[in-house]
Amino acid sequence: MKDLRDVIQLVVLEKRDIVRSILFGFLAGISAVGLFASSGYLISKAALIPPLYALTVLIAFLKLFGFARALGRYAERYYSHRATFTILSNLRLAFYKRLEPHAPRIFQKYRSGDLLSRIVGDVESLQNFFLRVYYPPVVLGIIFLATIVFTSIFSISVAVVLLLGLVITGLFIPAWYSVKQRKYAHRVREARGALSTEAAEFLYGYRDLRIYQQLAKKKEILLKTADDYLDEEERDGRQRLSNHSWNTFVTLIISWVVTGLGAFLVAEGDLNGLFLAMLVMISLTVFENAAPMAVLPSHLEDSKRASARLFSIVEKEKVDKGIWTLEDHQAPSIKMSGVYFRFPDDEREALREVTLSIPEGSKTAIVGASGSGKSTLMQLFMKFHTPSFGELSVNGVDIRKLSEESVWKNSNVVLQENHYFYGTIRQNLQLAGDILTDEEMEQALEEVGLRFDLGQKVLEKGENLSGGERQRLAIARAFLKGERLWLLDEPTSSVDALTERMIFEHLYQRAKGDTLVLISHQLNGLEKMDQIIVMEEGSVREAGTYHELIEKQGYFYEMKQIEQNIFS
Amino acid sequence: MKHLSRLAFSEGKVPMLLILTSVLIGATIIAQSYYFVAIVEQTFLGEQDFQEVFPLLVGLLLVLAGRSLFTWLNGWIGISLASKAKRYFRQSIIEKFSRHPVQSSAQGQSGRKISVLMDSVDEIDGYFSSYVPQMIQTMVVPLMILIVVFTQHLYSGLIMLITAPFIPLFMAIIGVMTKKKSEDQMEKLNAFSGKFLDILQGLTTLKLFGRSKQQKEEIESSSLGFRDATMEVLKVAFVSSLMLEFISMLSIGLIALEIAIRLVVYESVSFFTAFFILILAPEFYLTLKDFGSAFHTGRGAAGAAGQLTAELERVEDEVEWGMDELEREGPPMISLNGVSFQYEEGFAIQPIYTKIPPYSQVAIVGRSGSGKSTLLHLMAGLVKPSAGKVIVNDRSLFEYKESEWFSQVSYISQDPYLFSGTVAENIAIGGSDGGHTRMEIQEAAEKAGVSELINSFQYGYDTPVGEAGRGLSGGEKQRLALARAFLKKPTVILFDEPTTGLDLRTERILQESMEELAKKATVMTVAHRLHTIQNADQILFLERGKLVGKGNHEELLQTVEEYRNMVTVQQGGGTA
Repeated sequence: MKDLRDVIQLVVLEKRDIVRSILFGFLAGISAVGLFASSGYLISKAALIPPLYALTVLIAFLKLFGFARALGRYAERYYSHRATFTILSNLRLAFYKRLEPHAPRIFQKYRSGDLLSRIVGDVESLQNFFLRVYYPPVVLGIIFLATIVFTSIFSISVAVVLLLGLVITGLFIPAWYSVKQRKYAHRVREARGALSTEAAEFLYGYRDLRIYQQLAKKKEILLKTADDYLDEEERDGRQRLSNHSWNTFVTLIISWVVTGLGAFLVAEGDLNGLFLAMLVMISLTVFENAAPMAVLPSHLEDSKRASARLFSIVEKEKVDKGIWTLEDHQAPSIKMSGVYFRFPDDEREALREVTLSIPEGSKTAIVGASGSGKSTLMQLFMKFHTPSFGELSVNGVDIRKLSEESVWKNSNVVLQENHYFYGTIRQNLQLAGDILTDEEMEQALEEVGLRFDLGQKVLEKGENLSGGERQRLAIARAFLKGERLWLLDEPTSSVDALTERMIFEHLYQRAKGDTLVLISHQLNGLEKMDQIIVMEEGSVREAGTYHELIEKQGYFYEMKQIEQNIFS
Repeated sequence: MKHLSRLAFSEGKVPMLLILTSVLIGATIIAQSYYFVAIVEQTFLGEQDFQEVFPLLVGLLLVLAGRSLFTWLNGWIGISLASKAKRYFRQSIIEKFSRHPVQSSAQGQSGRKISVLMDSVDEIDGYFSSYVPQMIQTMVVPLMILIVVFTQHLYSGLIMLITAPFIPLFMAIIGVMTKKKSEDQMEKLNAFSGKFLDILQGLTTLKLFGRSKQQKEEIESSSLGFRDATMEVLKVAFVSSLMLEFISMLSIGLIALEIAIRLVVYESVSFFTAFFILILAPEFYLTLKDFGSAFHTGRGAAGAAGQLTAELERVEDEVEWGMDELEREGPPMISLNGVSFQYEEGFAIQPIYTKIPPYSQVAIVGRSGSGKSTLLHLMAGLVKPSAGKVIVNDRSLFEYKESEWFSQVSYISQDPYLFSGTVAENIAIGGSDGGHTRMEIQEAAEKAGVSELINSFQYGYDTPVGEAGRGLSGGEKQRLALARAFLKKPTVILFDEPTTGLDLRTERILQESMEELAKKATVMTVAHRLHTIQNADQILFLERGKLVGKGNHEELLQTVEEYRNMVTVQQGGGTA
């Protein structure tokens, strides 16, 4: 239950709807019992031919119970689902509050993109916790309690049998199967994972498999994995089925015992035969309410897993401890000396002995092959990570002492992948500042060569924009932020050459006197830079101005030769 | 849906078994009611001794055991049916995937295909494991109960007969209403439900702009908006079960009233009959209602079934190979004889004629989207030409055995795929039959300039790479692909030259290795480097799928203006 502590805390916030769900759940359940009990009684009573008015009263009861059951069920469903969705909202909010301080550091750690969808899925699966795990046992307990108390008026022993039935069907069988289910569910997940991996290999590596004549072999493996998954799933399904069947069987046996016991008691004269039909009907009906207990274990298991996974993501994270802030509206300088950096869970160093200096107001380009550590360098500047070893200072202050928020606040960042929200162009640009006028925004759009209407719709992740348009919109957003440190990671890699040149002209105008760091995907057009840093396998290979590097005829020069040689 | 039901009933045995178990379930339901009633009647009205009802109790116990057993059996058959169907679909789809031409296995398609194989197949489970068995039960059990009730008491039977159709009728009406309602809410629902993920994905951006804290309200309002929109739809569904409940309840009430009056006022039915009917009536309506929920599951499967059938029925031009052997001494003579290719939409590769003698070097040049990669695929026999033939040693390529051809060919793509496995296994995939010694693998890695890197790994050649293993950079993958080729010793090399982003070392190794490999093979390159083009014996210059120039560099410079333009722009500094 430790895993679920946080979730339970969030669930109980919705007291009012919880109480309503339980109340109406009870009403529905107990009315069903009442309905069948009274119909059993009615029919027995009728057999003795009482006056008609007694029957009328009973029939009225019957109708009453019927309506109460139907309406109770409706209200229970309504309130329990409303509570569920409110709880979902609470869960999202609570999780967001926990995650927010650790972003974006935490995303760098989990480099696979599906972390986020997994989070969303886990949060969503937790909504079932209230609906399937939390309140059904409560409702079940109260209904049984009331029924058993009522039954004990007529026969203590029948009441005891019902209690026994509750313990077996509500507790023992679910617990027994939950232990077994855990193993099977785990195996199903494993098998599913294996199949999905194999399928990905098969499709993504299809061409290579075909040429290297491995297709038939791989297909066999894929078929085998698919079969394994099916077998596990089938076994899991059978397990569920047998769980369900045993549960039904036991409830039927309980009714049988009640009937036999009742018959015995009536024969012995310990029970009025008038009530026998009623007791039988009660025992047949009351166990209908135990049905949700059958699915409870698997939902409990899911909830536990989801909760443990969710909260473990943020548990171990350290919060940023920097308290110093950068002075606003001043171009900063950056210095690195002997910096090493390694990503968690990676054995290789991403950066090795990097020493560099970016004076205030200077323009620096970082170039190098993909995987040479350019973007990692930039992430260190942004304090997404701190060096494993060595010194990194901004304006002479160790970056560990600087608050990350102050670093972000003072920089205009364009990443390789920038996010756009569902909304309008205006809303997406206004991230850069609330008091931006339409003129300013239109001006920025024009400078990056975008002819967008500010009211134009942007779909999630900017899906309706092309790669080049997305990049240019990010640059416009950076233009509008107007801080004095520019950190640009291949901002124009999907923009055509002509537009690119225009954008850079505007960029240099806006960044006059500012500190600018540009990771460039190409070597052309870097003549104006004060400094070019050439990265190779995590280290600085060379640094200098364009002309220095060309004259030196070293690494940069050779890269330049190759670039000229390449048609793209 | 049709496809699924055909599959479900394709074997006469399964539906017969389901009908049989349903009949048995129906029989036990009726027998169970009978015994309960008989026991109560005999002890209550007959005032008999316990000994005399004991046989009835034994009978009841057997019936109860039988009911549980048959219900279990029914479910068991359902699960088997579902497994069989899923197996059929998975196998057919895998079979289909394994034959499709290379073109359609482009990255964008693969994600969708995996989802079809995994999710769509899983989604049809409910149709077989719950909908089909429940449907058969609904056809059998109520009918049996109805017959029994008719034999007992005509009027109760009539009430059942008249009220029963209201349940499916209401289900249908409500189904239409919920559908409309959820369509109305769909846009809202989508917008709200995506918001949380949207914000999480944008968290980096939000933080950089100092906006992350404000998003809490957004999350809350969108979540609550989602709740309210969902509740609108759910309310309709809940009202629908309320109505069904009312219908069945009113019907049962009607039956009870009718029986009670007859029992009391007219004394025309016995206690036994009355109680019996009263216990059977709820079972009757319950089975009908159960069908409602199973129906929803069934309908959910219809969408998935549609995707599966669409995938299976997609017509793709499969490559078919012959039985001939291929000469293994040195590279073959290859010629393209009017080879053309029509894409599904838009432009086509116009018929191409050319001869590629052994050991020659061919460069395919053109702007992006001019059809270079497709031409390479055509030459490799990965794609079937729409018209014309690839001729290898005087015979059509497709007359050879597939293995004969591919054992001679290496294909080095821009982004080579690494399989889950060790480094050694990934290199050895390049061998014709896998039987390579560690020595040979190491030698190949040495030639491809990747051995130093591999030795730096903790587990050397046994280091896992690919999906579950360590990631390699683009340059490292490129070198691993070269090692594959060195191990395989092909006579035909197809090479899609990388555009940018390689480190200098890889660039150098790539160039040297290709020169080395070219000594023993014909090389066809989609070329992006001037020196590759200059060294080529033959350049195929493509524009929008059309071969506009053929010859070596000097010839093309003189004869083809577009080519001259392209090269001079590049040498003039390109984009700067």
